[in-house]
Amino acid sequence: MNPSSLKSRFTTRFLRALTKINAHKPISSSSPGPGEIFQRYRRIKVAADKSMAYSVRSRRTWSRATLWRLRTRSPRSRLATHARRSWVKTRSTRAASHGKEKKEDGGTVEAEELRELVPGGEAMDLCNLLDETAHYIKCLTTQLDILDRQECTSREL
Amino acid sequence: MQPCSREMQAMNSLLNPTLQDQQIQTPPLDHPTSSHDDFLEQMLSTLPSCSWSDLKSPWDPPKSDETDNNVGFHYDEILASKLRHHQINGGDGGGSSPAAAAMKIMMQQQMMLTMGVSTGATGSHHQNDVVDCSSFKSLNQQGGEGSNSMQALFNGFSAGSLHETNQSHHFHHPQTPNFGATARTVMNQSQASGSTTPAPAQPKQRVRARRGQATDPHSIAERLRRERIAERMKALQELVPNANKTDKASMLDEIIDYVKFLQLQVKVLSMSRLGGAAAVAPLVAEGGGGRVQTTANGGGSSGGNQTSGNNDSVAVTEHQVAKLMEEDMGSAMQYLQGKGLCLMPISLATAISTSTCHSRNPMMKGALLQSNGEGPSSPSMSVLTVQSATPTMGNGGL
Repeated sequence: MNPSSLKSRFTTRFLRALTKINAHKPISSSSPGPGEIFQRYRRIKVAADKSMAYSVRSRRTWSRATLWRLRTRSPRSRLATHARRSWVKTRSTRAASHGKEKKEDGGTVEAEELRELVPGGEAMDLCNLLDETAHYIKCLTTQLDILDRQECTSREL
Repeated sequence: MQPCSREMQAMNSLLNPTLQDQQIQTPPLDHPTSSHDDFLEQMLSTLPSCSWSDLKSPWDPPKSDETDNNVGFHYDEILASKLRHHQINGGDGGGSSPAAAAMKIMMQQQMMLTMGVSTGATGSHHQNDVVDCSSFKSLNQQGGEGSNSMQALFNGFSAGSLHETNQSHHFHHPQTPNFGATARTVMNQSQASGSTTPAPAQPKQRVRARRGQATDPHSIAERLRRERIAERMKALQELVPNANKTDKASMLDEIIDYVKFLQLQVKVLSMSRLGGAAAVAPLVAEGGGGRVQTTANGGGSSGGNQTSGNNDSVAVTEHQVAKLMEEDMGSAMQYLQGKGLCLMPISLATAISTSTCHSRNPMMKGALLQSNGEGPSSPSMSVLTVQSATPTMGNGGL
């Protein structure tokens, strides 16, 4: 496996995060309460997203957006979200005006939907959005691949 | 002064196409060779002199024909060939002999050939021209009629220019109003000897812009943008399965569905990473309007032996689930989870089944069952049996 590929980078980080989580909260045999499980789930999800975003660094818009979101999910949320909203608004207006000039895009409805799906996609014109989407899909498939394999190996044991 | 006046007349004939017929016809006939030579000399003043000597003494076999690749030389050859061609066609003098007729046919073919080529002239064409010209030169030395020969001249020039510049313009047979423009352009070219494009300030020469290209900068930017988007769409098409749609809108829909599906799978898998009983309620709460409710294959053991397509058990399960759903969603989910089942809308289920069948995870088999709106469940739900990965799946080299 290519030592510096996206997959390997993601794998290392993710495993590290997982071990940290496991160390922090050992698996309880009895079925834990829903809140706890939910928390744990959130942690794992966050770990996955974070490790993926970190593997990509800031080279991509969606990774930046994800990292930003993760960082500001914490208590200083009000200020942070306000700042982010203003930033998003400026960029999106710029993008929207851009889009309005060349109106015959024929895909604006779906483009809107795509923007919601891809993190950080609200403020990009269609061209870059498609680029981001391609990279995002690639990263998601990588993530899934790793998770899948982990599943299988853990099940075998 | 005589040659100058004749040249002026020739130029006038070019610029005033209506007058070209009779006016300069007679003077060239008087001193055919010399006037043509003078005119040509004027036109192609920058060409090396060796070519002129060839023209002037036609009976001397041109020595450097095939070897000389000079641009001007070829121009000269081509226009000379066209000259001869039109002389022959004009039907004066030596066009009656069978040899001449045969030559005429060959000449015509060659002319069609050179005229028909619009892109990327190869050296072979030039060679053909040169070879045929040399054979023709010795044939007929008379000066042709003025207008026709002028026409031939500029046909030759334009064809030559097209050859030389490797333009991908479609070769429009230059109509008479274009002669002036082409003459100017050719003169520019002959002076600039090998400039690739004619000066864009010649609006007449570009009768029609290249196909699919306008000169408006806005539309060019538009086109660039559209091309980039098309590139990206193509790249996305390779990533996304079921990418046989040609329509951009439907392709975007596919992409959106696929991204949703991937995100969902990540969620599901990270849920199962919990490695124990998965929580149903929090997921249900998170899932919003209850459209998608999934349970992970907790532990996997219960689901390990479940085979798909066992209709009886499935029907029973369905009934059970429906009953439970009426009472309490959570308990219904727990029941399902105990069986290693999950609930999801049909569209997503088809997506999962097709993708997991083809994807890197060949072990997951799905049996899709339609439950038709039993109880409170919406008709769009289906019960999907997922067979967890069996131990025989090699762990693929982690």
